[in-house]
Amino acid sequence: MATVTTTPGKQTTAERSADLNVLVRKQRSLWQDAWYRLLRNRAAVVGMVIVVLFMILAVTVPFMTQLGWLKDPLKQDTPNSLMEPIWTGSKFTLSTYPFGSDQLGRDILSRLLWSTQISMLVGFVPVSIIFLVGVTIGLAAGYYGGWVDQILMRITDVIYAFPDLLFLFIIMATLRNTALGDIQGGLLLIFVAIAVVNWVGMARLVRGQVLSLKEREFIEAARSIGAPARRIMVRHLFPNILAPVIVSVAFGIPSAMLAEATLSFFGIGIKPPTASWGVMINEGFVVFSTSAWPVLLPALCISIVMLAFTFLGDGLRDALDPRMKI
Amino acid sequence: MLRYTIRRLLLLIPTMFFVAVIVFFLAHAAPGSPFDAKAQGDKGLPTATILKLEEHYGLNRPITEQFLLYMESVAKFDFGNSFRSGRQVSEIIGEQFPVSAQLGVQALLFALAFALPLGVVSALRQNTAVDYASLFFATIGTTIPSFVISIFAIYFFGVTFHLLPFVGWATPQHWILPTVILALGPMAFLTRITRASMLEAIRQDYVRTARAKGLGEQVVIVTHVMKNAMIPVATIVGPAVAGLITGSIIIEGIFSVPGMGREFLRSILARDYPMIMGVYLLYAFLICIANLSVDLVYGVLDPRIKVSK
Repeated sequence: MATVTTTPGKQTTAERSADLNVLVRKQRSLWQDAWYRLLRNRAAVVGMVIVVLFMILAVTVPFMTQLGWLKDPLKQDTPNSLMEPIWTGSKFTLSTYPFGSDQLGRDILSRLLWSTQISMLVGFVPVSIIFLVGVTIGLAAGYYGGWVDQILMRITDVIYAFPDLLFLFIIMATLRNTALGDIQGGLLLIFVAIAVVNWVGMARLVRGQVLSLKEREFIEAARSIGAPARRIMVRHLFPNILAPVIVSVAFGIPSAMLAEATLSFFGIGIKPPTASWGVMINEGFVVFSTSAWPVLLPALCISIVMLAFTFLGDGLRDALDPRMKI
Repeated sequence: MLRYTIRRLLLLIPTMFFVAVIVFFLAHAAPGSPFDAKAQGDKGLPTATILKLEEHYGLNRPITEQFLLYMESVAKFDFGNSFRSGRQVSEIIGEQFPVSAQLGVQALLFALAFALPLGVVSALRQNTAVDYASLFFATIGTTIPSFVISIFAIYFFGVTFHLLPFVGWATPQHWILPTVILALGPMAFLTRITRASMLEAIRQDYVRTARAKGLGEQVVIVTHVMKNAMIPVATIVGPAVAGLITGSIIIEGIFSVPGMGREFLRSILARDYPMIMGVYLLYAFLICIANLSVDLVYGVLDPRIKVSK
């Protein structure tokens, strides 16, 4: 779609604009504009690259293990426990353990990479649930008002009296010994717990956006030509509330990962022997004062991923809505 | 204003009630008993003893009845006895609350003492090295989780260079690491808010007016810009208190500080219901009070905002 309509088959846009001696900018959608703004932000690009890299690792780690490039993350090798990583050059290093081994002689590199998979799952799955539930309920509450809205607001009031992490602690501590808590090393329970604690925030965000949009002319226009409520919500409201929702998702992912790491660090998250960065720190903490790498490496991974997601989130926020603050 | 305050204080009662309901039923939702082997560590108790203990604490009754009994005793300010030590919950909390409060207050003061000057300076020198440095610090402080920072701090200051102790709360030296690390999160957040709100205030018309009538730069900044810029900052102190409470649980757990946070963690793991309920109710109450006082102070600080009826 060119800005200047050309007479068919005779002149291209560029030629015509040259004729007219004006610059014609190739027309871009709002989303493309945001994408270019994002690419100009160096920190955001670095963050994005790191996130993509970790995602690739998370997807490929089962194949790497199957092909034998990586050791089994659960295989114990007690004679070779607490090997130092090769860069320390100490006599307690083995070239077969490039990142060293933990106190049960398990390969730290392999455990770190498998943890990446857990972290990515914990980042993306609950946030998808939060997105679906929060956006649906928020749209309905904001658009219809009435009792849906009333119930949502009352639930929010109560949930806001709970600090997220405390609530997560209680849910995890009580339910992790049930059947639900045993599925996939407790992963499913973590998904559910994080989603339960956080959907309200998303619903509230969407509700607020809808409230401010639904009195605008374009919604009124849609309603006046007889568009049904569902169509208005899906085709008109949804695309217009997407920017803040995307930003909230971008910050929701690292905070879900952090919640898992914290819970696992205190021994009420992922169940050992499944590896996760939090579990690794928890297990290594006992021997921390004598050999630090089994703890420092997962801590470093958490820091890198957190920073990457924050840079990306900040970049997305600036790109999608330059007026949003802080 | 008085009516509003009373109304908000009365609203605390239903909120606290719902908190109690949810936490009580959630905590009791777990299968098994707090006295079976899983909760007690490996040495299991004989079944007869478990039954006796359950009867003693009323755990064999229907859960709704247990809840009503609990609420009845709470109404008389009796929070029951801890399952683990047998001592009164209020007595344990009375011992540990001062430690947690000291940690929290120290951290809040430390955070304010650094965040406010840092935020002001970086706003006044916007887009200079000072500004970028403080923004970088703020990003690190809000992004990297406190337990990860603790690990690095223990590694450098404790393990490698033996500069500071990192287990317990015995001497003022023991206070340094927990306090500073607990303060980092709120500090970074406050720095960002202070900077943003200074930048906003500095562009207002009344600042231009103040300059135009010939006031000195210092007077303009201190009495006109900062006075207004501090209003949004004051509102953040409420959420910051909530952050300090959750943060202190993590920090007390890591540094073995004998406060309520560590007690809460242990109670959760041992399913010590009366302790969990007691500590949680106190936390929820503190958070509600912090939010309430911010809402009230806000109206006083900024007369432009009318407290809604």
